[in-house]
Amino acid sequence: MTNRLILLALLVLPAAAYGEPVSFKRDVAPILLDQCLACHGPKKAEGGYRIDTFERAVAAGDSTQPGFLAGKLEESEAFRRIVSTDKAERMPLEGDPLPDGQIATLKRWVEEGAAFDGPDPKASLASYIPPPTHPAAPESYAATLPITAVEFSPDGQSLAVAGYHEVLLYNPADGALIRRLSNVGQRTYAVRYSPDGQLLAVACGTPGKLGEVRIFKPESGELVRVLGTTSDVVFDCAFSPAGDRLATAAADGTVRIFKVADGAEERTITSHSDWVFAVAWKADGSQLATGSRDKTAKVFDAQTGDLLITFSGHNSPVRGVLFHPDGAEVYSAGTDNKIQRWKIADAAKTKEVGLGGEVYKLTLGGESFIAPAADNKVREYKAKELDQIRELAGPTDWVLAADLHPETKRIAAGSFDGRVFVWNAEDGAVITSFLAAPGYAAAK
Amino acid sequence: MSRDRYACLMILTHGPWELVMSLKLTGFVFLAVVAAWMSLPAGILIAADAAGLEPIAIGQPTRIEVFPTEAKLVGPRSHLHLVVTGHYADGSVQDLTRAAEFTTSDPAIVEVEGGIARPRQDGSAQITVAAGGQQAFASLSVSNFGQPQPISFEWETLAALSKQSCNSGACHGSPSGKGGFRLSLRAFDKVLDSLTLIREDLGRRTNPVSPDESLLLAKPLMKVPHGGGLKLKKSDAAYSVLRQWIAEGCRNDPAETPRCVKIEVFPPSGRVLKRPAHTQQLCVLAHFADGTIRDVTELAYCTSSDSQIADVTPEGLVIGHDRGEAAIIVKYMEHVESCFLTFVKDIPGFAWNDPAAANYVDEHIHAKLRQLQFLPSGVVSDEEFLRRVYLDVIGQLPTLAETQQFLADTDPARRAKVIDRLLERPEHAKFWALKWGDLLRMTNAQMGPAGVHKFHRWIDRAFATNMPYDQFARELVTASGSTLDRPPANFYRTATDTLDAVESISQVFLGARLQCAKCHNHPFERWTQDNYYGMAAFFNRVERKKSPRADELFIYVKNQGEVTQPRTGKQMKPWLPGQGEIDPPADADRRQNFAAWLTAKDNRLFAKVEANRLWSQVFGRGIVDPPDDFRDSNPPSNAALLDALAIDFAEHGFDRRHILRTILNSHTYQADFRPNDFNRDDVKYFSHYQPRLLSAEQLLDAIGTLTDLPEAFAGLPPTVRATQLPAPDLAKHEFLKIFGQPERQTVCACERAGDSNLGMAIQLFNGPLIYGKLRAENNRFRKLIAAGKSNDEIIRELYLAAVCRQPSDKELEASLAHIAAKGDQIVALEDIAWAILNTNEFLFQH
Repeated sequence: MTNRLILLALLVLPAAAYGEPVSFKRDVAPILLDQCLACHGPKKAEGGYRIDTFERAVAAGDSTQPGFLAGKLEESEAFRRIVSTDKAERMPLEGDPLPDGQIATLKRWVEEGAAFDGPDPKASLASYIPPPTHPAAPESYAATLPITAVEFSPDGQSLAVAGYHEVLLYNPADGALIRRLSNVGQRTYAVRYSPDGQLLAVACGTPGKLGEVRIFKPESGELVRVLGTTSDVVFDCAFSPAGDRLATAAADGTVRIFKVADGAEERTITSHSDWVFAVAWKADGSQLATGSRDKTAKVFDAQTGDLLITFSGHNSPVRGVLFHPDGAEVYSAGTDNKIQRWKIADAAKTKEVGLGGEVYKLTLGGESFIAPAADNKVREYKAKELDQIRELAGPTDWVLAADLHPETKRIAAGSFDGRVFVWNAEDGAVITSFLAAPGYAAAK
Repeated sequence: MSRDRYACLMILTHGPWELVMSLKLTGFVFLAVVAAWMSLPAGILIAADAAGLEPIAIGQPTRIEVFPTEAKLVGPRSHLHLVVTGHYADGSVQDLTRAAEFTTSDPAIVEVEGGIARPRQDGSAQITVAAGGQQAFASLSVSNFGQPQPISFEWETLAALSKQSCNSGACHGSPSGKGGFRLSLRAFDKVLDSLTLIREDLGRRTNPVSPDESLLLAKPLMKVPHGGGLKLKKSDAAYSVLRQWIAEGCRNDPAETPRCVKIEVFPPSGRVLKRPAHTQQLCVLAHFADGTIRDVTELAYCTSSDSQIADVTPEGLVIGHDRGEAAIIVKYMEHVESCFLTFVKDIPGFAWNDPAAANYVDEHIHAKLRQLQFLPSGVVSDEEFLRRVYLDVIGQLPTLAETQQFLADTDPARRAKVIDRLLERPEHAKFWALKWGDLLRMTNAQMGPAGVHKFHRWIDRAFATNMPYDQFARELVTASGSTLDRPPANFYRTATDTLDAVESISQVFLGARLQCAKCHNHPFERWTQDNYYGMAAFFNRVERKKSPRADELFIYVKNQGEVTQPRTGKQMKPWLPGQGEIDPPADADRRQNFAAWLTAKDNRLFAKVEANRLWSQVFGRGIVDPPDDFRDSNPPSNAALLDALAIDFAEHGFDRRHILRTILNSHTYQADFRPNDFNRDDVKYFSHYQPRLLSAEQLLDAIGTLTDLPEAFAGLPPTVRATQLPAPDLAKHEFLKIFGQPERQTVCACERAGDSNLGMAIQLFNGPLIYGKLRAENNRFRKLIAAGKSNDEIIRELYLAAVCRQPSDKELEASLAHIAAKGDQIVALEDIAWAILNTNEFLFQH
């Protein structure tokens, strides 16, 4: 029995236990973030101690003992308390103790000199830890999930749908599941194909914990790059019309612009004071429109990041934005159950329509755009006039996401109850409808 | 100010006053005095008992009892707390739940562990409970064990969030929520909560695919940063409920789900637990409309009215810390019950000395003190009694002649005689009109000078003629007509709309602070939003119309108009506490129905509130305290006494003077303020009199009496004293304001602040008012000098005027020495008078 325990202990030791030295960036920082951040971060700094940067993690809190001291396990207060046998001081307080493997990693790191191998000791750990490998998607779903993103591929031959730790690719003609793209964050809030169809950007994350944009090659499922890692989910992303830039909108209140080619962050815009739900490019790539929980929609200069105008006419969270085809106006929609059109020059409202429920992201396709709403409907509007073309019925729950593909004349939408609908955009007839939850037993 | 003056003060304040005085003038005199001043009226804190649970001494019970004796366990998740009570030969009881042994007749059907029975399969089993050689039995039946028992959204999930206080006013229940997550306060709006929890922000908070990943669990478990900190543990019942509700797919309740109609708490109120017995397991049963009964002990939110006396664990175990009483308030959704418990213990050396009782007040007070092992202080001296009773009944100090006459009286009934005389004096009516002026928000700004004078005169006359209190209340509540011809109609002038009227009437006459229920069910009490608007339906037809005459308003009643509950949109019928909805005739003045209910002889609450107010006026603390805050979670410190006073009050035709007379003649009222070794810690059971700072008006009048220079108020006859002012803004006075005279903006008794502050200290040290009176040519000691009185005589008279007693030899000697040393008689007497009015003995009613 004892032998078996030792064997087990050896098995759970990380690879770093053998040979190569422990890396702070790769091995230690993820443990600190996962196990300690909740109580020792910017939101709560119990005992005056924080671990959100290397500098803080090794410094002393209210006690005089440093958190971690090179080569001195006994004098490393954080380590001492992680391994303490006194319940009153053992960390995490009132939680399960750290797994043996993680303790061994921390121990070796201190013994090896508690070295720092990250980019900047003052930078937040979350900004440079290696992207996690996400858990596999469930073999079969225990429940359906709200469908928070749907997107046609540029050729219209596949429909990407948000899943749980995955993106599901369906055939929009018959609802057959083509492929499951894994290693994705827990929830997906936007799926965007690059204009050439070669890349698939997924805005995803775990609520309250992690957000990122993952860029895949849709054909092979290969993960190309992870961008914009942050502490809460990324709600939207959008390729620039030329396909060389990617803009993101996240729950940390930022809008960021990355170069697609190398993932370099060009610009961070912190003008919004709350979650940013949506981001859209102007057709010429010169401006960005955004919508936020701070009850405003904004337009920025995409080159400089300068704020051009703020629209406050919704007076409630804004969930969708879109440039008018003429480029001088913006459509925004939100929790006030309205789509409003206003001028970029002076934020003067020029038109509005009221819907029967809150409205989500607006998507342009050809001459029209579509709006999914919590009144269980999708509506198609003339993009220039904001005249309703068609109302697409069928869903029996809030419709959270929709897309249209002018060439194949299809409209797709996903609803809160996990169901996806595909319509013929010409007559509004349902082509197919299915639950985007592989293996889910509906009878349950 | 001279150093001499401080020195003089130091000597004079070291008289018989060491007991409540802590003035020690050394070094930085001023700071020390101010510091002492600031700390004076602070209450004595009862030290919390940090000890853990005492082991249960089972002893020799004559029988044991188990609650419940019969129950049905329906469904696989059902369970039941069995509460075991031992009864003893001396009539005492104790909770034996922690010590009893439980055995089941069939462990395959029911298992019992730690006093909690859980089903295993359908059938019946008998539970045998054994302790101290006695046995008791409970018959339990199990049904639907094989049936699914999904979590109820309302009755379990929302209850669990309430239990963990997620939806409390300080957290996500605040009107704007916290961190973007908003719940209805204590789950009064389940529709909103369902949307928020299940749907808001794209279903962010719950994760039915992998429940443990849900933000709703991860945040309070602190797996994810949470501004509110650790609020949930995996061992909490609430955790299992929330987790399973998510795993089941976050479902709302089916439409036909039966509602909880009441909750039942065992044990009922009234238990007395004597150390070492100091714990009590509760069992909370929820009764549902379909007749089922469920144990919700772990999901009911329990709090203690006094956590220094007792606490309650999340599992429903009440733990007593100290002697005293505590009401455990049990709240399950909108249902509230309470369990009142008394904790006693033997105090080493305590022996009841069987003090005499003057009347039933003393009998009830003594019974409580004896039970809790406090010894009452003895009766106060004639001098101190006289000063106390004058200040309480007429607001002013006795005159020199009155003091001398009383101190010379040898009649054993002299105290009763002086009480009777004072109650008949016009100053009594005027002083108590001042108190009611506060409650009725009588101000010049609101009513105009004519309105104020007429309303004030009406109240003055009501006290002068001893108008029965029921009539007094009825005339106010049902008043109509011109505010000038019918002064009580001013009540609806200050209560400017329906909601103000409801809140004012309930606070003044029912002692209930109803404001919370305007926007949501009261978070801790029985009052619901429906109740609030049901009460409003009595007053919403009252109309107020201006007239051409200045300061006049016409109050009249329309014969139509209904109240709509803003949240439900429902039209409310008039509703009365304890009676429910009523149906007055279509054209009735509904206020008449309300007043009839309010002032009915059997409406005990109505009598209690006023009896308690009378009590609190003369003790500085109510039996229920604050006196306008009657609620389960604020129980009376002597319920039997309050009941007795209320019955006596109603039986005597709501005669306020009768109740006051009864109270003032009790030994409890006449008790010494000096504590003894066995009541020092008591602040709420009236074992000794609690000294309190004179009110602003009393103090100003007392300074006028001491200096023989009563303050006059511009625009009012010179005979009007501060304690007789109709309204604070009729004759604004800086000194009164600094000493806490209320502006009368609210009906809350709390508006008259009892705290002391630096501004007061500065006024007393070198404020213009006192300076002026000490320097005035015709003040008391200058007139005495002019009359050729000796220093000895003058000092004696100052003491008699200020504190109704002769100076001690030491005080007299010190004063004479100060005059001699000073060399200037007038300045020295100024010093002495100044020092006297800066003593606690002068400043405090004691």
